[in-house]
Amino acid sequence: MTNEIKPINMPKWGMEMSEGDINAWYFAIGDQVNAGDDLVDIETSKIVNTVTASDSGVLRAIIGATGETHRVGALLGVIASAETSDADIQAFIASNTSAAAEPEAATEVAVPVAAAIETAPLATSQAATSQTASSQTSNGLSKLAEGEDDSLVAASPVARRLAAEYGVNLNNIIGTGRHDRVSKGDLEAAVLAAGGRLIGNSLNKANGEAQFGDDSHIKATPVARRIATQLGINLLECRVSGDRGRVCKADVEAVAALKNKMPAQTGGSAAAGISNTVESQPISGMRKTIAARLQASKQTAPHFRVHIDAEIDALLEVRKQINNSNTNAKVSVNDFIVKACASALMKVPAINVQFDGEQLSYFSNADISVAVAIDDGLITPIVTDANHKGLVEISNTTRDLATRAKLGRLKPEEFQGGSFCISNLGMYGIKQFDAIINPPQGAILAVGAGEQRPVVKDGELAVATVMSLTLSSDHRIIDGAVAAQFMSVLKGYLEQPATMLG
Amino acid sequence: MTTQQFDLMVVGGGPGGYVAAIRAAQLGFKTALVEKEHLGGVCLNWGCIPTKALLRGADIAHTLKEAEHFGFAFDNLSFDITKLVQHSRSVASKLTHGVAYLMQKNGVTVIDGSASLADKCLLDVEHEGKVTQYKATHIILATGARARNLPSIKIDGDRVWGAREAMTPTALPRKLLVIGGGAIGVEFASLYNDLGTDVTLVEAEQRITPAEDADISALAEKAFVQRGIKVLTNSIVQSLDTSGADTVALISGPDGDQHLEFDQVILAVGITGNIENLGLESLKVETAKGFLQADGFGKTNLAGLYAIGDVAGPPWLAHKASHEAVICVEKIAGVDGVKPLNKNQVPGCTYCRPQIASVGLTEAQAKAAGHSIRVGRFNLNANGKALAINEAEGLVKTVFDENSGELLGAHMIGPEVTEQIQGFGIAQQLEATEHELAQSIFAHPTVSESMHESVLDSLGIAIHQ
Repeated sequence: MTNEIKPINMPKWGMEMSEGDINAWYFAIGDQVNAGDDLVDIETSKIVNTVTASDSGVLRAIIGATGETHRVGALLGVIASAETSDADIQAFIASNTSAAAEPEAATEVAVPVAAAIETAPLATSQAATSQTASSQTSNGLSKLAEGEDDSLVAASPVARRLAAEYGVNLNNIIGTGRHDRVSKGDLEAAVLAAGGRLIGNSLNKANGEAQFGDDSHIKATPVARRIATQLGINLLECRVSGDRGRVCKADVEAVAALKNKMPAQTGGSAAAGISNTVESQPISGMRKTIAARLQASKQTAPHFRVHIDAEIDALLEVRKQINNSNTNAKVSVNDFIVKACASALMKVPAINVQFDGEQLSYFSNADISVAVAIDDGLITPIVTDANHKGLVEISNTTRDLATRAKLGRLKPEEFQGGSFCISNLGMYGIKQFDAIINPPQGAILAVGAGEQRPVVKDGELAVATVMSLTLSSDHRIIDGAVAAQFMSVLKGYLEQPATMLG
Repeated sequence: MTTQQFDLMVVGGGPGGYVAAIRAAQLGFKTALVEKEHLGGVCLNWGCIPTKALLRGADIAHTLKEAEHFGFAFDNLSFDITKLVQHSRSVASKLTHGVAYLMQKNGVTVIDGSASLADKCLLDVEHEGKVTQYKATHIILATGARARNLPSIKIDGDRVWGAREAMTPTALPRKLLVIGGGAIGVEFASLYNDLGTDVTLVEAEQRITPAEDADISALAEKAFVQRGIKVLTNSIVQSLDTSGADTVALISGPDGDQHLEFDQVILAVGITGNIENLGLESLKVETAKGFLQADGFGKTNLAGLYAIGDVAGPPWLAHKASHEAVICVEKIAGVDGVKPLNKNQVPGCTYCRPQIASVGLTEAQAKAAGHSIRVGRFNLNANGKALAINEAEGLVKTVFDENSGELLGAHMIGPEVTEQIQGFGIAQQLEATEHELAQSIFAHPTVSESMHESVLDSLGIAIHQ
């Protein structure tokens, strides 16, 4: 099996992930990698996650350079034994890159594989001397990883932490401490015996600045190459947006801006008196995702809107009663809307759907995404099973989710998915607005501010607290009458909150 | 004007509050801290730090007294207590500025004024007669505590000092009565005795430092008596007559009533939480015996309200407040692996001479909790370093669960034991047994070798006794 070549591919985290940015590699070409090692950080829509090695061997090539964006499934690197020939590696990469998606940057002309790939000549590979060990490594270490839950195995805190880092199951380690407790020494001996390398010996790990190799083979415009030299930027760091697959000036400047190496550019050449400062920066992964998703939504899903006003005086009274009677409750109007939507979705299940263009998925529970504005974008954490949750539980769940959303501490499953979305701009005094559907969901509710308005009741003019609600629906799967029915049920729940209890 | 809004607001700038604010800012919360008096709280301004600065003066006094033993002799020694107080105040002020710098560095908005809850997640801050309202999703109360009065005896700042007055004297008292033999009382008794005051210490329980292990209390009392401190246990100060030039105290004890004269009294009979004027009653926030009620992560019964530190109940220690601050904020932020406070792992330190330090259960508490135990003892008079520095009075006592080997408690009295207790704390946190401790190598010559010997003694294999 010494000639087996293992690809490192762009993973797919969550159904909506289509691409990822390469943030940083933990290893350089030629390094020995063990199964379970942290390999490369990938930035997706809202999080940075780490790809871990599924196999052991020598990191022979890096195709996805730091800063690049690659599609899901794209080849990012190659792990193979030190014995595998360069020619085999090249052939493997060639066959895998032509089949899979190319980096986003190379839209028109594919970058010739050989130019875009850094490979390590075998002779200089640091791992060349440990060839024999590396073939056993994957087997031995993967065996150590197998086994049942090891939480009951007696182990010192240090040994347990290291076991998690090595991906070792403690059931496989023979403890030599008192009462057979597994010590750090026991663990390390087992890792070494299995052909692994001890953590802490790899100096290159987490070396801050990503390591780049010789960039002389990278195609670049002469201007780009000179600026890169002046600014100390490696061309491998740069995206490739020039024609004929060349790194152009803008690509180098983008990296420079990221590293703050350029003085802030002043736009408008010599416009006397007025200087309008323009600061250009590449957009974040999150902003990119928002842009791509919302554009796709607006283009592919034919939106139509239905609008309704609801009087919420009764709701406000119930809210006051709940908050006054329960110290641990701080229920907001939005919490009522979440609850009312959940109840209405149960009554009109045709709205509680996801549609990916081909398949329509109906959900039995209401997983309601709530749009939360955060520093550099927005995120939609999900109140799951909102139809089964009481108001106070919805309220406390939402507060926790919103708190952690702002801190960037949501887990992927807490914001990916959802069967319906609510966007509330009422706190900004917005009277009414339209929202864009959060795909693959089928509809989104836009909520305005509750405000006192004149209303006519039985021919008399009266004052009521009124809130405007607008539902945007995907007409491919939701018809006008269904949307109208949902809104009417929703209005009923909001105007007579007690009916939600039934 | 629109209400200013924060993700998290902290009320109180002591070692609970300012640590909570820093941790919150680190985690990305838009954070504000409201302080009505001095950043740093009691700890930095009127507690831990300034008393340690004074006690350093007491140490020097003690060293000078025993200088003759080491061959030194000098005449015309004089002492100006105002200089010592000046040193203490300057240290406090330096640290307060340090906290202000940390707030700035971490981007915490500091708001001057007295805060009270207007509603859930709504704070009114009153400053120089003007009230400003702030909104915060999470509000942490870290308002601390203050010295408690007795029904018949109250701190007046003149004849009867609280801790604040006791650490800013303008002259040295001649005859001092310290009411209360807990940590604060024994520290002041020790301080003033070393500085030359005639000190009487009265404790209602049957031993001083009643929260410590009985063996430790006994040694502390022995050392105090040897130093010339009058220790009256099982005794109660019934009343103080301040009509004359000296204060006359009526003290009832096992030997009946006696009238004793003092020119100064310090009241140190415990503390009570600062829970007044916070708007707690109208919002039905639960309190008990003068303190806020909170769960292991500081959450109170009111949505979005948390309590940490002294105001959230015992033990009333700065490091407990700081630890609660971190776990409270991390819990709110959803940090993985946050564990609730384990009060058995909070070390306690008393800076009298000899010092007292402990962590976990006393021997009596361990027995009462149903443990079958193994106890180790080692006296410092068999420790080379302690003899060399002429402070060989002391004891290290360790209490292990006989079956699991868990270190249930460790109790120390002796020189600089407050710097050594962390060793046992770490062992406890890592769940080391007596065997891991026995296998650890302790450097020689150190006072802390006694820690090792105490563990060995629990196994019946102490080398040097």
